[in-house]
Amino acid sequence: MTTIDPMDGAAGIDAPGFDVLSFDVLDTDVLDESALDGHTVDELSDYLDSGRSTVNFSIESSPGCQLALAALERLRTFTRGLLDEEARLEPEPSDDWMRRVMSRIAIEAHAGRDIPIASPEPDAHLVLTEGAVRGLVRAAGDVVDGAIVGRCTISGDVGVPGAPVAVHVDLSVRWGSRMPDVASRVRASIQRELAMHTELVVTAVDVTIQDVRYTPGPVPAMRTGVAS
Amino acid sequence: MRTSQQQPTLDQVDERVIVGRAADGDARAFELIVRRHSGLMRAYARNILGSTDEVDDVVQESFIVAWQQLESLSDPAALKSWLMRIVGRRSIDRVRARHDHDDLSGHDEAAPIDLSPEGAVQAHSLEDAVQSALGRLPTAQRRCWVLKEIAGMRYREIAAELDLPESTVRGLIARARTRMATEMEAWR
Repeated sequence: MTTIDPMDGAAGIDAPGFDVLSFDVLDTDVLDESALDGHTVDELSDYLDSGRSTVNFSIESSPGCQLALAALERLRTFTRGLLDEEARLEPEPSDDWMRRVMSRIAIEAHAGRDIPIASPEPDAHLVLTEGAVRGLVRAAGDVVDGAIVGRCTISGDVGVPGAPVAVHVDLSVRWGSRMPDVASRVRASIQRELAMHTELVVTAVDVTIQDVRYTPGPVPAMRTGVAS
Repeated sequence: MRTSQQQPTLDQVDERVIVGRAADGDARAFELIVRRHSGLMRAYARNILGSTDEVDDVVQESFIVAWQQLESLSDPAALKSWLMRIVGRRSIDRVRARHDHDDLSGHDEAAPIDLSPEGAVQAHSLEDAVQSALGRLPTAQRRCWVLKEIAGMRYREIAAELDLPESTVRGLIARARTRMATEMEAWR
């Protein structure tokens, strides 16, 4: 017999397994308007939606209304729990559908600003996109053991050759890594990669460790040096 | 040549980092976002659309919009609700485009509903059990209920979106509430 908990994630609600449901004592009248001291369910719902910001003493002092308000709040949690449950029952997206999504996004790259590159041909106009540079930065950071690059921001006037720019990256670092080491290796790797492939004058590479991730299994031995 | 070390697995990485990468144009990070959230987005779209036919299209379009606008998402922790807003928006657009007033107002849903506790929990499988509460609401009621309780929209906003009188929306939601309360109490 399948036992399900439709209230998964909804704290404070007692949801028995499906096989132990009992209807002996079933209170289906929590929203019975005769117990609301002259108020209506609709009114109580509006009061709840308002965040009870303007206190209504008549509602607040009525036990029937209090029960109904609590039931309305549970109802909201119940509804969200049901949607989450439905989401869990959804099949994995089909390969065909995933391919369609991914092929659509492939043609809409996040190019960002144009970054000029000096050309030996005087009449040629060469640019590298900011998106491509971010890709370089990600790759340069990701090769450092334990590091995964998140958001990368390039500040400064990248459109002007020789203008100073600063690079900022968010980082996820594997638990067990020495953070200052990882951060400094990431910075060095990014500096080296940008110097090799671009003409940007990088004055700073700032790193924010945004996440320390725990990976299952034994803690990896600390390593030194940048993977290449 | 890329080695496995140069393609680190993103599975264990905090979603804020994933969102950051995707916003910068990393398709692999975006693919992970799509895989993680497509179930919820499908379920949400289905509840608003009232049918399964257009779910694939709506969710696909929504993720493409998300890819285009991800850079504008200032709080990466809000990804899920941000995605839901996009899906909700596009689902409502589809419903409006149908110009089916009976579907919107619930006029074609005159069938009597079994409000007894026994009727509420007739379901026997996991899927039916879930369907029993939300999925078994008549379409127009379910749509309005979800827009109010999950999307957090106000009566007049729902009325304006669906081009219905506010009183109709209020009535649909009141009926959905009664029904859902019965379903919920049956679980207790």
